[in-house]
Amino acid sequence: MALEHTNPEPGLPQRVVLIGAGGFVGQVLTAQLEAADTTVVALSSKDVDLAADGADVALSSFLKEGDAVVVLAAITPDKGRGVEPFIKNINIASNIAKALSASNPSHVIYLSSDAVYSMDEALVNEDTPAEATDLYGAMHLSRELIFKSEVKAPVAVLRPTLIFGAADTHNSYGPNRLRRMARDKGAITLFGGGEETRDHIFVNDVAALIGEVLAHRSQGLLNIATGQSLSYLDLAEMVAGQFSENVEVKLTDRQNPITYRKFDVVELHKAFPKFAFTPVEKGLADAHAGMLAGAE
Amino acid sequence: MSKVKVAFVGMTHLGLNSAAAAAVRGHDVVGFDPDQALVSRLSEGNLPVAEPGLDDAVANHRDLLRFSSSLEDVRAADVVYVAPDVPTDDEGTADVQPVRSLVEMVSPVLKPGATLVVLSQVQPGFCVSLDLPGDMLFYQVETLVFGQALDRALNPERYIVGCSAPEQPLPDQYQALLESYDCPILPMKYESAELAKIAINCCLVASVTTANTLAELCEGIGADWSEIVPALRLDRRIGQHSYIVPGLGISGGNLERDLAAVVRMGAAAGTDTSSIAAAISNSRYRKNWVLRQLHDKVLHAGTKPQIGVLGIAYKKDTASVKNSPSVGLMLALQGYNIVAFDPVAKLPNEIDQATVELAESALAVADNSDVVVIMTPWDEFSKIAPAELIKRMKGKLLIDPFAVIDGKLAHMAGLEYHTLGIR
Repeated sequence: MALEHTNPEPGLPQRVVLIGAGGFVGQVLTAQLEAADTTVVALSSKDVDLAADGADVALSSFLKEGDAVVVLAAITPDKGRGVEPFIKNINIASNIAKALSASNPSHVIYLSSDAVYSMDEALVNEDTPAEATDLYGAMHLSRELIFKSEVKAPVAVLRPTLIFGAADTHNSYGPNRLRRMARDKGAITLFGGGEETRDHIFVNDVAALIGEVLAHRSQGLLNIATGQSLSYLDLAEMVAGQFSENVEVKLTDRQNPITYRKFDVVELHKAFPKFAFTPVEKGLADAHAGMLAGAE
Repeated sequence: MSKVKVAFVGMTHLGLNSAAAAAVRGHDVVGFDPDQALVSRLSEGNLPVAEPGLDDAVANHRDLLRFSSSLEDVRAADVVYVAPDVPTDDEGTADVQPVRSLVEMVSPVLKPGATLVVLSQVQPGFCVSLDLPGDMLFYQVETLVFGQALDRALNPERYIVGCSAPEQPLPDQYQALLESYDCPILPMKYESAELAKIAINCCLVASVTTANTLAELCEGIGADWSEIVPALRLDRRIGQHSYIVPGLGISGGNLERDLAAVVRMGAAAGTDTSSIAAAISNSRYRKNWVLRQLHDKVLHAGTKPQIGVLGIAYKKDTASVKNSPSVGLMLALQGYNIVAFDPVAKLPNEIDQATVELAESALAVADNSDVVVIMTPWDEFSKIAPAELIKRMKGKLLIDPFAVIDGKLAHMAGLEYHTLGIR
């Protein structure tokens, strides 16, 4: 089901609980919501260990009836993609779902991942069948189903593409890793000729779109992507161009087949007709400035 | 040629055009509809549908074509066609109850030996389910094309006739009526004829989907689909009249209904229908080509441009807006300043009338617009001079998916011109 707005007029909820607020997206979202005068209950692993037995009870103590809740908490793939993080992530979702089921929220947003789609699908939209090919993707798909089945309030599932920004800790193959390579080694080394294309979205845009979904109290499914794909070679050259000193972009012998990914973001345009994405050059410049300012 | 007494039951787009064509062919025709107000309107020559040549055909054959809401007039006919509209829901499922109701209304009043012909499209199995005598009931495949309805009713390529017993000759009067159109007559089983109509539409969809897919590829790799089309047309296996001009997906409702029917029947029969499902998906995707262009080229900047929209109807020469890409576009642009014009079609209720300003003329759409989009390829839009357009516009972006305006002239006038199938 594509995204559907349940608020007749958009308006941010009075109180938003962010579960997993300590992460990359959570920090930016907290700042954006607070700047919009929304009360944010920013919960991180310091407040509650979501994987522990009884975490649902601990979490419930932070929740009030009528809260809007954004679920960002997950063990990310940089901490492992095997069975153990899979089970831990499912346990986290189970505990959150139990707490949400008991607290009667007004709206729940689950930040999933485009890992639920197979990389065999070059062009992806919300009609593309979810066909996870690894446990990380299967985990997100399972968690989507857990929240949709256990929560009575409207649930929005958001599937973001690769997110970049200065404070990203995940170091996946994207702008952040390329920038760090350039900073630490003076060169960017790509897989093969960098032919693969991907959609990279700036973290501020992800947070702003979550804000839109909150304001419209939307339910259903939306991919969070810009609709513009870049090759890694083009991306590397843009990242290299941010540095005052010369940064070499090194190509290597190709080990794996080339894969492409492009998002058709028509549903996003229809859901939020006036949303304008940060141009990738500006996002990269911002992330670069963040790095220079010591954010990473 | 013998004059046949014919009645058309249901003064719909299909029924009215078919009745007018039969009168033009010299038959004695009654257009029946239970709606008395509609019959009065028709009798005054005030036709509810717009089709090239239809007004003249009706006006010039009043001696042979009359309208009635009396079943007595139906009783006098030797051949009675039933042609109500068949509504479809959002999933493309047809509701054939109107056909069944009219058949039940008229079949008891037919004179002995009269022939009842179902002309509205029905799903396979419908005629058998009516349980009427096989020598009385026939199904005739219509190939109505909005905008060419009268011409196609007058000059059919062939008649596909569903029968209880195809090996038996058709009733004399029915045979005489069909022969007057001078085209091949193909009798076949009810189910075959019912599926033949769907098969025709699936073949058309296959061509359209192929054209749409490859035209977009042209945009991606720098090829020009308009250069490829003539080469394809000269291939006998593809043909001069093939549906290979790119468009904005499948609209109008009928093709979508048939695709949905194939997927549904295929599921029940255990048949692989994935190619049909792919066509449905491609159509959905193509409908948003203009919206993508607008976001890529102008809306991404976050400004509030004025968007001029030429055309509301789903295609030219019709007032129908069902599944119209133009309507879909305007719905997806709520919140922007839109100025629209269509020579015939009106804004449907689903669009907030307060958000779209209707212009007095095609050119008035350009006044102060940052971008103009031609969503329906009406002939009159092709007469717009690009130089005049850019003079009245604030911006210079012209999005013309159907190449209504000559791209070279548009470029020469200084317009930034985008059409389907060319980068």
